[in-house]
Amino acid sequence: MIEVSGLTKQYGSRTVVDDVSFVLEPGTVTGFLGPNGAGKSTTLRMMTGLVPATAGSTRIDGRPYDALANPAAVVGTLLDASAVHPGRTGRTHLRLMAATVGVPATRADEVLELVGLTDAAGRRIGGYSLGMRQRLGIAGALLADPPVLVFDEPANGLDPEGIRWMRDLLRGHAARGGTVLLSSHLLGEVESTVDRLLVIGAGRIVADGPVSDLLGSEGTAVHAADPAALTRALETAGFHVQHGADGALVVPGAEPGEVGAVAAAGAHVLTDLRPVRRGIEDLFFQLTA
Amino acid sequence: MTTTTTTPAAVPAVVRPPVRAGGPSPVALVGIEVRKSLSTRSGRSLAAASALLAPAVTAFVAAASDETLDSVTGPLGFMGMLTGLVLLSLGVLATAGEWSHGTVQTTYLLVPRRGRVLAAKAVAVALLGATAAAVALALSAAVLAGMVDGASWDGAGRAAAVLVAAGAALALTGAGVGAALANTPAAMTTLYMVILGVLPLARTFKPEVGSKLDPAEAVLNLSQGHAETQSVLVLTGWVVVSLVAGAVVTRRRAVA
Repeated sequence: MIEVSGLTKQYGSRTVVDDVSFVLEPGTVTGFLGPNGAGKSTTLRMMTGLVPATAGSTRIDGRPYDALANPAAVVGTLLDASAVHPGRTGRTHLRLMAATVGVPATRADEVLELVGLTDAAGRRIGGYSLGMRQRLGIAGALLADPPVLVFDEPANGLDPEGIRWMRDLLRGHAARGGTVLLSSHLLGEVESTVDRLLVIGAGRIVADGPVSDLLGSEGTAVHAADPAALTRALETAGFHVQHGADGALVVPGAEPGEVGAVAAAGAHVLTDLRPVRRGIEDLFFQLTA
Repeated sequence: MTTTTTTPAAVPAVVRPPVRAGGPSPVALVGIEVRKSLSTRSGRSLAAASALLAPAVTAFVAAASDETLDSVTGPLGFMGMLTGLVLLSLGVLATAGEWSHGTVQTTYLLVPRRGRVLAAKAVAVALLGATAAAVALALSAAVLAGMVDGASWDGAGRAAAVLVAAGAALALTGAGVGAALANTPAAMTTLYMVILGVLPLARTFKPEVGSKLDPAEAVLNLSQGHAETQSVLVLTGWVVVSLVAGAVVTRRRAVA
């Protein structure tokens, strides 16, 4: 479990992270969202001891990061895929990490295979694309198969296959009881990967909760064989009906079950019935504007 | 840019590798730092240059000079100083290079106690410096033995011991300045400008400055048994001041 309490970072009179607190439970993937400069990366760096906090604390399994006996065995971290020496090969980079973490040197080849970099393992990292560096960073984070993963923008540069693989990796990690904190600006990717959202704006947490709660339901969209008849039935039942651009009837504030019940009572044929959810993009801009 | 990736393994196999319970031991950390220094072309090139430059210059001078050499301690001292000047760069790369390339992030994520890392780097750099200086001196001595007749070898053993220690000291100085400035070009420029530019210039106006501050002059004096106490103090001062500055800055600096 990760407990962040009152993390604050000030540079002179400027506060870039302001009293950020949250708790991450095992078995969850949490998305950490915010616009550029909102304080995401600074928060992640304070959590891992890279940037000294002005105030507040982080406890991982009950201890500050720098008090963990072997941090990489507890937290796998990818903060900046470009923070690698371009003159080393991918394999050498991982073997140096493996020696420091205390896993067998052969583990480097195992994680290289896991991220699909076996063929490039003997090449200098300076010749890697951004996506390959991201994979290398993910490989480094997985060396000790730690229970906690903290990734900052891991999907940058990954191709669609890589993004799907990473999503499966993170979901699988959480399914095994792991804890994942994922920072990303790819909102669609976050929406399809995470259970919970932390949204940071101007250094403060502006939203924290399950994705389903934050996105919520704004009503129901329904397609019917006879839209006019269904509209009359819904209005008779007390619902307000709007006409969508694609021929759908939109019923604000109604649950799909309520609309379905009205349709069933009047023997209306439906071809589509679904909740209207607020898009994550709308939520993001609303919270961080 | 060519992308060479294969399809990643489907869902990761859940076989947790054996992981050491604690952090790396001090000895292991020193070994890792040595490997880091020699795992790049620039590191290997500097190590090779520091070991081979002095014997190459010795061979060139011995072949080109017609003068009779009384004692080998003078040339050995000069070659030791030359080696030490190259070793400054090796030390700088070990510390500032990590900040310049951003690898310091991985280093401190894996071992967050920065003092431990800096101590291991200091030992590793000292070992590399001493080893390179020893190789350079052995090769230089072999060149002198093969190309110069009639020179005295009295004091050569003491000079060699001094120069091996000086190699370690100058490499440590480079590591300290590199850690303090956290920028490879800035650290190298500063060191070489001070040692090869500012101090010699200052010495033309105030000759005592050289004997009190110049590490290169201290190495030359020590190798020939002159002003030993003062020379040891000069070298010790450079090592201590640079390492303390490097440690203080490293402990406080944020890793962006």
